Amino acid sequence: MKIVRKVKVKNSLGLHTRPAASIVKLLQPRKSAVQFTHKHETINARSIMSILMLAARKNTVIEISVEGDDAELTMQHLVDAFESEFGEK
Amino acid sequence: MPTGSKEIILRGLPISKGIGIGCPVFFASMDDQVPEVSIPKKEVEQEIDRYRRALDLSRKDVESLQRLSIHEGPAEIVSILGTHLEMMQDPLLTSVIEEKIREMERNIESIFCHIIEEYKVRFSSLQDHYFQERVRDIVDVSRRILGHLRPLERVRMEEMPHNSIILTHELVPSETVEANASLISAFVTAAGGITSHAAIIARAKGIPYVTNIDIKELKSHEVHSLIVDGSQGIIVLNPTRETLKKYQEIQRTHQMSYKLLKDASFLKGETIDGYEVRISANLENPKEMGEIIKAGACGVGLFRSEYLFLSRKAFPSEEEQFHIYKQMAEELKGKPLVVRVFDVGGDKTVDLQPDNEDAKYFSSIGHEANPALGCRAIRFLLRYPNLLDDQLRAIIRASQYGEIHILIPMLSDISELRVVRKKVLEIQEQLRSQNIPIADHMPIGCMIEVPSSAIMCDAISEEVDFISIGTNDLVQYVLAADRSNSHTAELYFSTHPSILRLIRMVVSSANKARKPVILCGECAADPAMIPLLIGLGIREFSVAARHIPLVKHTIRKWRILEACRLAEGALEYPSAQELKEFLAEETVKY
Repeated sequence: MKIVRKVKVKNSLGLHTRPAASIVKLLQPRKSAVQFTHKHETINARSIMSILMLAARKNTVIEISVEGDDAELTMQHLVDAFESEFGEK
Repeated sequence: MPTGSKEIILRGLPISKGIGIGCPVFFASMDDQVPEVSIPKKEVEQEIDRYRRALDLSRKDVESLQRLSIHEGPAEIVSILGTHLEMMQDPLLTSVIEEKIREMERNIESIFCHIIEEYKVRFSSLQDHYFQERVRDIVDVSRRILGHLRPLERVRMEEMPHNSIILTHELVPSETVEANASLISAFVTAAGGITSHAAIIARAKGIPYVTNIDIKELKSHEVHSLIVDGSQGIIVLNPTRETLKKYQEIQRTHQMSYKLLKDASFLKGETIDGYEVRISANLENPKEMGEIIKAGACGVGLFRSEYLFLSRKAFPSEEEQFHIYKQMAEELKGKPLVVRVFDVGGDKTVDLQPDNEDAKYFSSIGHEANPALGCRAIRFLLRYPNLLDDQLRAIIRASQYGEIHILIPMLSDISELRVVRKKVLEIQEQLRSQNIPIADHMPIGCMIEVPSSAIMCDAISEEVDFISIGTNDLVQYVLAADRSNSHTAELYFSTHPSILRLIRMVVSSANKARKPVILCGECAADPAMIPLLIGLGIREFSVAARHIPLVKHTIRKWRILEACRLAEGALEYPSAQELKEFLAEETVKY
């Protein structure tokens, strides 16, 4: 199954090292392939360096695409993490 | 010093304060000359193994650095190293590189350097400054890995000779972590920002650091010795005897604030004419107790107990608190421990997940339009008496193991003090009836940080055992200026005449009632403020442990009479600006 959704980066520093690391960690037990797209650039969301290279600031909209058996659950976790500003609120 | 070498002054950007004098050590950065060789197909897997081993060793390096830093380093270092570990597991540094080796059939060093170079270019081209800075983390990680691929070429920062001044294109955080401040006198680099991780670490270690210096150009000079002035952002090559003397003089004054003073830290904080001023320490983390004792503190003047909650995101139970307070009291061996009850709420909250059991305390208050004027500190605790009762009971139970005092934060009305005192008496009675041993007397003090309490201090002094003036909040409330707000920061003056008058008022009320006064707040560590505060009658300060040597030193340079005259003079100024100028002039000679 493949799901695509758009999320907004809400935390004040954007997708900096800590959120990037927490995304990578969150995806570790998940099986689906996860990609982020921002400004025509698509990257592997399991790579902390790739996430940083998106240079996504606050209020950026990221397109998340998840493909695999646990796609739904994985997407839910990701959306929650973005929503809760990676625990930085 | 050899004659013939000319003194040259170069101007750069100051990053970390202080003066460093020493000999130049050019520190090689990741070099361009990496051999490029093709690898026969059957050896490709071997080459990949070689890379995996280097990656493994690098990971172990960082892990052990991290373990070291957890105990002694600032928290920033631990988190920076954590990021590096993540990067070493990044597919871009693992599978992507392995794929490239298979595809190109070349030696790993050349492939690695090419790929890193690509990443560097991409990061450097990012618009956002924060993300751009992260290129340094990549350089750092790659340099470490490359070091393990070419083990013979590694020079380590921790093995530098004494008085080394490191000159390099740019500093990377993990090397900076290894730098030993007793061996390395200063850093000079061509590239580097004030917000870079390396800069944060250099400042935490107190190593002077100047950047924006053309290192390549520098190599063309014959440099025997140099001076780095991290406060002004200046470096002096081959200083003349005169310049050297001048900087040694400055360095001496600077170092007083640390090394030299630290040795004298066991001395009392005493004025020239023999008046003792007690210097206690502020404390957030009970694990740092050892440092406080080493720094020569008279005790813990302010234990910010809310950090027990903030750090673990849950209120500690009575039992947990009892053990912590008991251990602290025992370690202090009879020196006083002032426990300020939880100062949480308002702006001091943490982000609790909704399923956190303690989230209810905050959600029921909800959003406050003015958190600084909201339900925080003692107001918060009186709203949730179970939290206050648990804490008071833990403190009272621990009281028989040392000299513990209770401090009430943000008192705005004497009734709050009375409620706490009544609770303390009840708990004492209860514990005694259960035959639990407790101290006979439980001193209770309150923080004077709300103007109403400062004004009513004569009445309050009659009912408390001691007074603690918290200048950080007092200044903010008296001047109605938020110091974290950049638009009002310039209104925030700890030397505002109104503050001095209030302090004098509080001290004289407390003296009348014969109650001791402690002053805690950042201004207690300012050498220009200390004599003034002594002159206003303060006889005990509580400051961060690392400031104790400087505070003691400053006190030992003054006579009480001169301090009083200074305070008298200061009270006559109508504005903060005039007062500041007067103070600068009067205290500079010391």
